[in-house]
Amino acid sequence: MRTKSVLPIIGRILMMIAISMVAPILCAYYYGEKEIVIFFISMVLTFITGYLLSKIRENDDGLRLIEGLAVVSLGWAIITAFGALPFYLTGTLGYIDAYFETMSGFTTTGASVINNVEILPKSILFWRAFIQWIGGMGIIVLAIAVLPALSVGGMQMFAAESPGPKLDKLKPQMRETAKLLYGVYLIFTAAQVILLMIGGMNLFDSTCHTFTTLATGGFSTKNASIGYYNSAYIDAVVIVFMFLSGANFMLHYNLLRGKFNYFKDREFMFYLAVVMGAILLMTLDLTYNVYGNIIDSFRYASFQVTSIITTTGFATANFDIFPSHSRIILIVLMFIGGCAGSTGGAIKNIRVLIILKYLYREIYQYVHPNAILSVKVGEETIQEDILKDVMAFFIGYIIIFVVATAIVAAYGIDMITAISSVAATQGNVGPGLGLVGPTTTYAALPVFVKVVLTFCMWVGRLEIFTVMVLFIPDFWKE
Amino acid sequence: MRVKPVLHILGQLLQIVGLSMILPLLWGIYYREAESWVFVLCILITFLFGSFLKLVFEEEDIRLIEGFGVVSFCWLIIPLFGSLPFIISGNLNFIDAYFETISGFTTTGASVINNVEILPKCILFWRSFTHWLGGIGIVVLALIILPALSIGGRQIFLSEPSGPKLDKLKPQVREVGKIIYSIYIFFTLAQIVLLVLAGMSLFDASCHSFAALATGGFSTKNVSISYYNSPLIETIILIFMFLGATSFSLHYLALKGKIKSYIKDSEFLLYVFILGIATTIVTLNLRYQLHENLLLSFRHAIFNVISISSTTGYASTDFNLWPDLSKLVLLLLMLIGGCAGGTAGAIKVIRILLLVKIGLRELYRMIHPNAFFSIKFNGKIISEEILHAVSGFYIFYMITFGVCSLIMLGLGNDFLTSISSVATTMGGVGPGFNLVGPMTTYSYLPGMAKILMCFCMLTGRLEVFTLFVLFIPDYWKE
Repeated sequence: MRTKSVLPIIGRILMMIAISMVAPILCAYYYGEKEIVIFFISMVLTFITGYLLSKIRENDDGLRLIEGLAVVSLGWAIITAFGALPFYLTGTLGYIDAYFETMSGFTTTGASVINNVEILPKSILFWRAFIQWIGGMGIIVLAIAVLPALSVGGMQMFAAESPGPKLDKLKPQMRETAKLLYGVYLIFTAAQVILLMIGGMNLFDSTCHTFTTLATGGFSTKNASIGYYNSAYIDAVVIVFMFLSGANFMLHYNLLRGKFNYFKDREFMFYLAVVMGAILLMTLDLTYNVYGNIIDSFRYASFQVTSIITTTGFATANFDIFPSHSRIILIVLMFIGGCAGSTGGAIKNIRVLIILKYLYREIYQYVHPNAILSVKVGEETIQEDILKDVMAFFIGYIIIFVVATAIVAAYGIDMITAISSVAATQGNVGPGLGLVGPTTTYAALPVFVKVVLTFCMWVGRLEIFTVMVLFIPDFWKE
Repeated sequence: MRVKPVLHILGQLLQIVGLSMILPLLWGIYYREAESWVFVLCILITFLFGSFLKLVFEEEDIRLIEGFGVVSFCWLIIPLFGSLPFIISGNLNFIDAYFETISGFTTTGASVINNVEILPKCILFWRSFTHWLGGIGIVVLALIILPALSIGGRQIFLSEPSGPKLDKLKPQVREVGKIIYSIYIFFTLAQIVLLVLAGMSLFDASCHSFAALATGGFSTKNVSISYYNSPLIETIILIFMFLGATSFSLHYLALKGKIKSYIKDSEFLLYVFILGIATTIVTLNLRYQLHENLLLSFRHAIFNVISISSTTGYASTDFNLWPDLSKLVLLLLMLIGGCAGGTAGAIKVIRILLLVKIGLRELYRMIHPNAFFSIKFNGKIISEEILHAVSGFYIFYMITFGVCSLIMLGLGNDFLTSISSVATTMGGVGPGFNLVGPMTTYSYLPGMAKILMCFCMLTGRLEVFTLFVLFIPDYWKE
């Protein structure tokens, strides 16, 4: 890897992050908060660092795939370091906590270490929600343009054309795609803000919640999350937008161009079926064991299910005290996650679908040992290379999950908390069960556990291999 | 698949099982127990039924595809006859007896009998003897049949690629079989002698030898090995559990004078390494959180670590009371299991080794997109086909584990009981945590849960795919 060609790009991204800090500055100005100074300092620091980095002379041979990996993985970690400045400099959080919170923001996880968000200055709250929105934008481009080009975890099946050894060819194409997708993202943002305001939320709260819904992040401006409003209308609006954000943005983009492709897409159909199935089962469980009436049960079931499967992590009920059947459903959903090409995290529906089909083929192959069978999703045959990558992804995902759980448990954390906290951060969901349930935060965990969970968010969001590759010595050779 | 030749083989095996019931009969006569007549009856039923099948259905050459039927049927139906002594003597009802016998033949060691000490000696003997018989079957299964069927990458152990017919293997099966039986019997006798010298009665020594070598775990005492509270007995059992869990082909080579073959085998080395790490962690954890005594911590750590990882399931202490970290280590060992050519169950060390290599290769491929990497084991290149099968096996194992745990949770068991009971039965270990801990039994579980546990023991033992092939309709076409 040539560090010299990576740093200028990260520098440019940092400058963009610095510019985006104008938004919380305006917010602080509007509310007359003294934190305006802090944001200004953070902005200047970030901008100067970014500017200096961007001035490093680039190699002329351009960007190879390997540098692409470095930009994504190192970029995410470095940007987080600067995004954490406002939390740290205002004294809201210590640096490790601030880094945790910001990583949780940029990876759109939504795991928080802040026990009482309602006493925070508005500008800090705004920044907290805004980084999720920015993270969400990054993720969409990452998922639709960058990861397929880098062939991470079988995502090359979504690549428009097979990439050469150089990434440059992709640049113009990436810009085009990015512009269109941002259009969709902005339209959705505007629509949700308006719909939430109709439901009686004020402009500030509806903007913050919209940012975190579309990014499937889950930071809220209220301690009780969306449950604070206790309004079926707001629940419904948030459900719809969470669901849309958990689906492939290419589908939304096609819709805007007049092509209604949703029901032709196997992954979307699978996603829809999982969501419906989970809501149905949970509604039954809640009807018999908690609420006693089907309307309430349906309302809370559909919210919690959509929130967890899209890896948002909002809550309208304390699902940690739900009966065990419902909690099982939620744990399973934490692993499945959203669709490829969405802001959702975890394993992703398409991979689950491919793995299920693959297993069926494996068994079938034993019955017909000489037949050549292919795995198909819809009309499309999945190549063996992609199958291999999908399996490697799954194996990598489980290995990281197990190792991280073991480390967390080594700190004396009980098993449910250990398992669910790793599942929730690696899948970028946010709240888990036990100590890290929806009504509590990650604040009480030991420092090193927070570091491990920060790593889980990073590694989970960047589809495991993008980050793990940093640990291979060969990677650092020029 | 043709059912007739399968039934012929089943008949042969039933004859053997019937004859082997003579041993408990002899003990019954020796102790002048009233239950002896039960065994006379069972011998008659089993032997006659076996002969009947053998006579009615003619011997034919079996093809590869019938291999699945033979293995699955035998493991399903033989326990039916093996459970007769428990049922006829009135000690257990049908489901419990079937559970206990499957647990015996699969060398799991999960029990539904709360107080074993009041059982007649001949029944106890039969219970341990099913382990021993199962153990022989498993070694042959692991070293000969599964490789021929290419289950889960097992073909790695095949000395020569097999044709489409199994019968070519027959002479080979007989040869290898004989050698393995002699090693097995030699180890059993050695262990009996050592245990008697250490102060156990002949009866207890033989029962414990049967169960330790087969990595089963049935004991003649309610509190398992902790009854004796003797470091000497623990050490003897420890050694034989370890031998049972390592590859019998290595023992064969060692007995021929090639002791060095142990250290040349990467699987063996990795297994020792895993045991070393696990023992260290548990020792330290126990030292600081439970015993305050390094030697005692070490003694319990090493015994229970080897007992669990060899999938035996003996307990020298109630490890259910251990701190969560140690429990988590044990839970992981339950999933990993022992080496592939032994009597141990679960995923197996060699597959873990290959999975880690697959993961690493994926990372190297990202750094060098155009290079071709092959994966080696003991100096030999492993074919892509095998790697495919190994990943498929692992994924299928984890999914079955996940789904069964969820069903257990759904049946109303707590979290730890559910995951540990499934991990322990699929891995052929025996005790889990909480409700199914080492000092309790499976008798409190609801009937449905017991049936599910039987299923887990069988799928785990038959390496997942073997049993699932039967669910493909095409399989049943002639």
